[in-house]
Amino acid sequence: MDMNEKPKVEEKVQEEATMEEKPTLPNTKEGKLVKALLEKAPYAQGEVIRERRVKFTVPADRIHEFLELASETFEMLMQISVVDWLKEGQFEVTYQLWSVSESVHAFVKTRIPRDGAKLPTVMDIWPVAETYEREAHEFFGIIFEGNPRLGPFILEPREYEKHPLRKDFNMLSYVKAIYGEDFDRYDESKTNYVI
Amino acid sequence: MANLEVPKELREEAKAHDMYLHPIDKDTYELFFGPQHMATENFSIILKMDGNRVEKAIVNPGFLHRGFEKLAEQRPYFTNIALLLRICVPESDVPENIYSMAVDEIVGWEVPDRAIWIRNVVLEMARMAAWMFWIMGFGNEIGLYTAGQWAAAYRERFMRLFEELTGGRVYHIYTVPGGVRRDIPGDRWLRQLRDTVEYLKGKLKDFDEILFDNYIMFERTEGVGVMDKKFALKHAVTGPNLRAVGVPYDVRKDDPYYLYDQLDFEVPVLKEGDSLARVLVRRYEMEQDLYILEQLLDMGPPSGPYMVQDARLKALPRFKPPAGEAYAHVESTKGDFGAFVVSDGTHKPYRVHVRGPSQSHGVTVLEELLKGARLADVPVILKTLDNCPPDIDR
Repeated sequence: MDMNEKPKVEEKVQEEATMEEKPTLPNTKEGKLVKALLEKAPYAQGEVIRERRVKFTVPADRIHEFLELASETFEMLMQISVVDWLKEGQFEVTYQLWSVSESVHAFVKTRIPRDGAKLPTVMDIWPVAETYEREAHEFFGIIFEGNPRLGPFILEPREYEKHPLRKDFNMLSYVKAIYGEDFDRYDESKTNYVI
Repeated sequence: MANLEVPKELREEAKAHDMYLHPIDKDTYELFFGPQHMATENFSIILKMDGNRVEKAIVNPGFLHRGFEKLAEQRPYFTNIALLLRICVPESDVPENIYSMAVDEIVGWEVPDRAIWIRNVVLEMARMAAWMFWIMGFGNEIGLYTAGQWAAAYRERFMRLFEELTGGRVYHIYTVPGGVRRDIPGDRWLRQLRDTVEYLKGKLKDFDEILFDNYIMFERTEGVGVMDKKFALKHAVTGPNLRAVGVPYDVRKDDPYYLYDQLDFEVPVLKEGDSLARVLVRRYEMEQDLYILEQLLDMGPPSGPYMVQDARLKALPRFKPPAGEAYAHVESTKGDFGAFVVSDGTHKPYRVHVRGPSQSHGVTVLEELLKGARLADVPVILKTLDNCPPDIDR
């Protein structure tokens, strides 16, 4: 009986989760901020994580539009983080914004396919995006359309096309290929290698 | 000599200073500034010069250690502390703290009060040590070496306290997720810290006389590398550089962590936005940091454990936090230092992304501010922005 009951409970939980697609926003500073922004941009989803942390999920084709709206409240673009979800074949790009006037940190998330990853540049909104986009381009291979300085930035030119922060980049075999016999400590037959 | 003529601007400046310029080629030339140059600290700038003036600057980082973020994905959570703290050398406690705070948030740990107090003291000590390091560099740039040597000596007092507390002088590996690695050595250590704070409070006056109130410093920094408020916000400039243009943004006040919401301190703000304002904001902040340390010492360490009580900590290499993500940031002497940690439920972080403050003010802002500067002002602008190259090439 116990074994039969368990899946039922899980199903119920899942149903409830799908029913509550739009969780009600708390009546706080963060909740009001998310609500005001979502009214202007109904295509996005927003939620409050905790005090002074909010999160938005935006489709990739409307990211520039959304960030332009968001830049009225969030004056600073703190960083652009990319996470390589290899199994799903997607890059998750997170624009992290900070509002100096409201003291709220926002994650603006969008997902793009790994193959031929492209996004519009946000240099026109925040000029500092140039640096972050150069970094994301170099380490993950995302092309930011409109950024004139995509090219070797931190890495050496021979490493530039490799995109080392992708999950399928094997650091040890690359070093072996470059340095050859000089790098004799690396044994390919060993699994779970400790560097 | 038809094609050799002195640019008008240069000629006027020379005339104003009673100098006679020999004719120079009007064509610009390229100058490689760094990475070996003392002022740049493993960082290179390619300058396009027109006589004495910088016409264009291109920042060329990448001469430093690399791949910490990739390495962090291949190591267990607790091992990463020994790696990530090397991101910012003069202030190595900051990367420790942001990473630990982010992991704490993912796991959902309530860090014990004693650990929070110790972490707060360590962060403020690190700030003071980093200010001393900065004076050392900045004093050298404008030729006031004595101030730099004094600062290096005063920094040594903090290094000794750190050594007794953590076992390491520069790299501490002390703040770990869930608390701190070991307890305070004892009351003697607290007394020594109080003595050091008192000592430095007196020494700040000496620094005023030799550096901050010095004619040379004013001559070299006033009106050099000016930025305005809108420019600074659009370029995500943080820390003392932002406060020097009139924005009172300080993570300790705006997104309080640890005990800062119980402490009484001021956020110094100036409006000019030039190198002088940036230097003076830092001078006022040193005073505030000593004041904060004094308050923390008056408060005293709360009793209790210094590490969170969790059975999972017994098997550290296999410690697995739940899937999730967190962003934590603290106020460092360079600006807003943040870490974004993503966990997929395994024993290694799926992604660690560190936001170094120099990423914004060390690349685009520096390139903009250097336009039109004199060659001699290049190190001054670089040092007053307090650029830390490892923030950029992590």
